[in-house]
Amino acid sequence: MTPTTPTPDSPTLHADEHLYVEELNAFIDGELSPAESNGIQQHLEACHLCALRVLCATQLKAATAHAGERFAPSHEALARLTAQLAPQVPQGPSRVRPLRPNAFRWFAWPALATALLLAVSLTVWQHMRQANTLTAELLDQHLATLSSGASPQVISTDRHTVKPWFQGRIPFSFNIPETLPPDTTLNGADLIYIEGQPAALLLFTIHAHEVSIFVTQRAGVLNAMPSTTRAGFAIRSTRTRDLRIVAVSNVNPAELERLVAAVVQAQ
Amino acid sequence: MPSSHPSANFEQLALPLLPSLYSHAFWLSRNHAEAEDLVQETLSKALRAFDSFQTGTNFKAWIFRILRNAFLTSRTGIAATRTVYLEDNPDLLDIADASPTPEDHLLRLDDEAAVQRALEQLNAPLREVLLLCDVEELKYKDIALILEVPIGTVMSRISRARRGLHQLLQLQLRETL
Repeated sequence: MTPTTPTPDSPTLHADEHLYVEELNAFIDGELSPAESNGIQQHLEACHLCALRVLCATQLKAATAHAGERFAPSHEALARLTAQLAPQVPQGPSRVRPLRPNAFRWFAWPALATALLLAVSLTVWQHMRQANTLTAELLDQHLATLSSGASPQVISTDRHTVKPWFQGRIPFSFNIPETLPPDTTLNGADLIYIEGQPAALLLFTIHAHEVSIFVTQRAGVLNAMPSTTRAGFAIRSTRTRDLRIVAVSNVNPAELERLVAAVVQAQ
Repeated sequence: MPSSHPSANFEQLALPLLPSLYSHAFWLSRNHAEAEDLVQETLSKALRAFDSFQTGTNFKAWIFRILRNAFLTSRTGIAATRTVYLEDNPDLLDIADASPTPEDHLLRLDDEAAVQRALEQLNAPLREVLLLCDVEELKYKDIALILEVPIGTVMSRISRARRGLHQLLQLQLRETL
């Protein structure tokens, strides 16, 4: 095989010439101009060997992309990194007074009261920790839907396609509103698992903002979710008689609220 | 960057890149704790230097360059740069392409674990350029900016990386036959 060094003046190869290896790479990496790509396309139609080389190189590129794709951060790590990105608040006198351990010096609490306080604190801490973990997990799920390569398992703007798709996949049912708020579109849905429990993830856009709505059974894992804001994302948690509904987005909270209200009303 | 809320703009640009930054940091450092530290350091440095980022240029390339520099100044990065590496001189290296052989059709490119093993065995600088090209889908000019090398060097490294990966997969295949 005689690779031919490409020259800008003659992008079209003859049938008895073959692609230079770096030209082949540039072709599969989308680095060539349209004229150069067309020249190579024409050559590939006539040269079986180069067509085979391009096919093998493309397959290897796809396999590399897949294998190297993600070492995903843990939910906790992603939450910490996301928190680091929150817009910086201007420095000034803190409104919250720091807790001074010495302040307790003036109180001689009986040992029993201390133990009781510790127990209560631990319970509250565990509850908060669980809520924080869930918040991080839902935020992580939402961020995953924002990545360019992510496509939902069911892609449809039709609620009559999206809802039936979940039949037999989740142990509960839910409705999707017939009429959505202005400039709001249903894009599709995913079946996901939150702490091992199945949940429906409905994907909407409001203007250009992506919205993830998680639907689980009311008594499910999301029961401890509070409405909150995390890293610039509004997390709105509500419930119906049977369902727990949590929405995550960076859209205007009022518009997120309208969509959540529409979903709740549809149940 | 002209804006009344530069940190909000920064957040908007950086947030979608967190998984990519972390993944790349892990490939560089091979350690989860260190990967998180690297990304934290990157975000911190990038935010401080955000004024120097030029709107219209590739933010991903800009922040990946900061990540790479953070890695190179880390303990693991300093140790890694001690490794002797062949110069990017195509004349000294066998980068000749070969015609596909019948054996190539047996390569298990759909076996993610096999490809991942081959990626792990690949020389670190070659793996890095391949990840930036194939996984992060960056253009050659952006990869050149991140690695601080000429585009020609990027092209020759990509050629060698793919050839090396292919050879490693062939080696794995022969071991299983």
